[in-house]
Formats: sequence, structure tokens, C-alpha cells
Amino acid sequence: MEYVFHIIIMLNIYIMLTLSANLTIGMANLLTMCQAAFYGIGAYIGTFFLMQFNLPFLLVAALVMLFTGAFSFLVSFASVRLKDDYFVIATMGFQLIVYTILYNWTDVTRGPYGIPGIPGIRLFGMFELTGVYAYLVLSLVLMAVVVFLFHHLVESPFGRVLNAIRADEITVKSMGRNIVKFKSLAFFLSAAVAGLAGIIYASYVSYIDPTSFTLDESIFILSALFIGGIGNTKGPVLGAVFVVLLPELLRFVGLPDSVAANLRQIIYGLALILVMYYRPQGLLGKTIMK
Amino acid sequence: MILQLKDIRISFTNAQNESFDLLRGVNLDVEKGKITALVGGNGTGKTTLFNIISGFEKNYTGEVVFEGNDFNRIPAHRISLMGIGRLFQDGQLMGGLTLMENMKLASDDTTGEMPFSSLLFPKKWKKAELQKELQVREVLTRIFGQDNKYLNMLDKDASEFSYGEQRILSLARLLMGGDRLLLLDEPTSGVNPMYIEIIEQIIREMKEQEGLTVLLIEHNMHFVRKVADVCAYLDEGIIAKVGPTAEVLDDKNVRNSYLGL
Repeated sequence: MEYVFHIIIMLNIYIMLTLSANLTIGMANLLTMCQAAFYGIGAYIGTFFLMQFNLPFLLVAALVMLFTGAFSFLVSFASVRLKDDYFVIATMGFQLIVYTILYNWTDVTRGPYGIPGIPGIRLFGMFELTGVYAYLVLSLVLMAVVVFLFHHLVESPFGRVLNAIRADEITVKSMGRNIVKFKSLAFFLSAAVAGLAGIIYASYVSYIDPTSFTLDESIFILSALFIGGIGNTKGPVLGAVFVVLLPELLRFVGLPDSVAANLRQIIYGLALILVMYYRPQGLLGKTIMK
Repeated sequence: MILQLKDIRISFTNAQNESFDLLRGVNLDVEKGKITALVGGNGTGKTTLFNIISGFEKNYTGEVVFEGNDFNRIPAHRISLMGIGRLFQDGQLMGGLTLMENMKLASDDTTGEMPFSSLLFPKKWKKAELQKELQVREVLTRIFGQDNKYLNMLDKDASEFSYGEQRILSLARLLMGGDRLLLLDEPTSGVNPMYIEIIEQIIREMKEQEGLTVLLIEHNMHFVRKVADVCAYLDEGIIAKVGPTAEVLDDKNVRNSYLGL
């Protein structure tokens, strides 16, 4: 049963990550390749607070979201100056820079050795969460809160402005909306939620190293988003379900691990090609990436 | 005067790195409450002039004075908030959004557009949304009459409307904001004669019922004669002639250099 719970916890983390990516990619039409960088920043900053200070979880989560959100301004600044492919390349650059820092700043991050023994989250500063059951409940609650908030944002006037920016940025500007401000807010919220996912992950597995936050991971999150669909809440959720559950289903086919791993990549690739060809808005998406 | 352009100059550099002056000192006074047409050949800088007025083009010299305020180099979104609306040359409704969403976006009321306030005060923005919906219905009724078909198509995706319909609805959308000056860049471009008549009605409505000032770029001279009170002819980087529409369009030099007659 613990195995199933572990899958659900990871699923909850990836739902948060794909939803966070949806805000910038799916709604504001900003194709970013650095979601894993924010995920990693959140994990490392959260680890720092958990290991150095005995703070209650809500405070740690708020700090992590704030700091990770602040890092997003580096990328949103680039979005003002760079358009289309150039912006995508800049976000890849940001992803690589973050990875390189995490890997090489060994005094702080311990580089490739990673950081073991990350303490559990302390609820209200008293109860330390340990074990798969506690994280199951916590991740479920946070995932539900994030889904609710993002659904609310998608349906709100804020979501409408982001959708409009995706459709026609110039016209939105001529209607008196400050595009830079809206993009920055979208990035901030997106990065903050990815950071939240990062701290849950770090605390749950109690060990992090830079290999969990690579460009591959960003592409993985992006794949989940495009398979599930963009522009609403249900698409990203379905995408996360697909990419997290698929490898687990392959376990029951009885293939050797080495074959299953390769097969998983092939299936992801095929799924992406088929979805892009037959349903470019994703399985449950609302709109098409421009 | 609602808008004054004083000695507007702008230069561009082409692919061969050669500089050329597009606007060489444009001076134009736009009278409040009138429809002014800006005419001139292709590439003479009419749209560039609109870009300068609405803040999308910054690399110019000269003064843009709106309602007595010099707003040189103010960001485009702030110029819009000061009361200048714009219909772009290829301006359509925004696809992926419904007609209602398109109309609401043009409203001055931005309640709920900040994520934190929309999360914290949902009742406030939901109330504002209801007000906006009423305003949308009221604008569409005023423009297209009681029980017009668009009132039943508010939830339809904007991209599903025909080009002509999108054009007239884009014009109607301009009435959602509190604009006092509207810049219309070729409103009849690519539109069939039936919609041109509706566009004419809408522009008249803008002036007569709403009391708005309209500055429009147009190549359809028949249309210009029908709607414009004043006409300004842009040629070789300056306003070569300005005055009552018939007078300008019948001018020998204008007919010769622009209309080729």
C-alpha cells in the first residue's frame, strides 16, 4: 500500500508542477524551459530553512514561495526584451545556470553529493511529519488547494487578461493593460508554486541533489502539460496523471527495468507526437499554444 | 483641439543601413467631436503616426499633446488609460476568448485583474463582472439595435465570427472604455459592402451619440467622403493639405499625387 501512496504523493507534486507551468506557458503564451529550475530553487531554499531553523511549515512554505517567486523576475525580465524562440533559449539558459550553480557551489549545495537527512516538515512548529501517510495527506491537501486556486485564477479576470495576452498582446496593451506586469505576476505565481512542490519533494524524500532539477525535468513537465492540455485546470492535471502513472503501469507488463525505462521514453515521445498531430490543444486543453 | 501633433519627425534605417526620413515635421490639429480622415499613399507613415500617438513608437521627435497634456513617450498602456482607443489595421477580436470576454476586456473597470485581489475578494470582482455584462449588452443594443443576434452569441468564440463581423464587433468594443479619442486604422479594409455600411453607422454613432472624436486612416475615398468632416493629406512626410473633406479630396494636387487623377 505504501507503494501506491508514494505514487499518489509524486502525482500530487507533479500536478502542482504542471499547473504552475500552465500559468505561464498555457495562459500567457510564454514557453518556458526552466520550470525544474524553480522546482529546484524551492527544494534547496526549503531545505535550508528546514535544516537551519525550526520554523513551522506554513512560514517555511511562504518563505520558499516568496524567494522562488523573486527568482522568477530574472526570467520575466527576459520576457520583456526577448520574443518567441529567443525567449525559449533564454529560459533554457536560466535552467542551465541554476543547474550549474546547484552542481558546483559545493560549499552550500554539496554539489553532486546532494544533501541527505532533510528533516520532515513541522506542522505548526510542533508535529514533525514523517512517513508516507503524513505526506500523502499533506500533499493531497496542498494539491487540492493549488488546483482550487488555479481554477479560480483561470476563471477570474486575471485569467482572462492572460488568455488575451496569449491571443493578441498588442491589442491588450492598447486596452490599457500593462503586459510586463501581468507576465511578471504570472511568472511569480508559477515559480512560487513550483517552489512549493520543491519543498514538499525535498522534505518527503529527505535527500536532494541537482540531478532532480535538470533541463530533462523541465522538458518532462512540459510534456505532461502538452499531453494533458493547456489553458484550463483539468488539462494539466490529466497530463500529470499520464506521465506519472505510465511508468508504473509498465512495471506490471513484466519487462526488464532497462527495457521499461527506454520504452517509457518512446511512449512519452509517441504520445506527444500523436497529441500534437491530432489534438494540438492537448487531451483536455482549452487552447492551442501559438 | 483634442489632439495636437507638433513637428513630428521620425527616421528609419533600411537593410542597407541607409537612413531615410519617414515623417519630416507633421503638424496636425484634431478638432474635438469631429471625424478626421488621414489619407495618403502606402508607406507614407500614417500607421507610424498612429503608433506615435498611441505610444507604440518612441523614437521620434516633436510633441504629441492630448487635451492640453504633453504625453511624449508615455507607455502605450497608460496612453490608453488617458482616453485614447485604437483599432489596428488588422485588428480583430481575440480568438480563444468569447465575444463577452473580448468586450469585457475593453472595459475601464479592472476589478479582479490582480491575482491576489481576485483570490481574496471574489465577491467584489464577481459583482463588477455583472456590471460589465450589463454594459456589454447595453453597448451592443445601442449599436446593433434591440434583440440583435450578437446578444445571443456572447458565449461564442470570437474566432468563429466572420472577418466583417469581427471588424464591426471590434469597433463596438471600443465603446466599452471611457475613450474620448479613437484612432481607427483602415476600418473598412477587407470588409464587404454590407459591413462597410454598418461601420459607417457605427462611426457616426461614435461621433453623434457618444460625442467621441475619431481620427481614421482610410484608403476608401468614397467612405471618407461620407463620414469624415475633416481630411488631412499626408505626403512626403508632412501634412500637405488639411481642411473640409470635399475640399481636400477635390484638390488638384491631391487628386494628382495620391489618386492619380
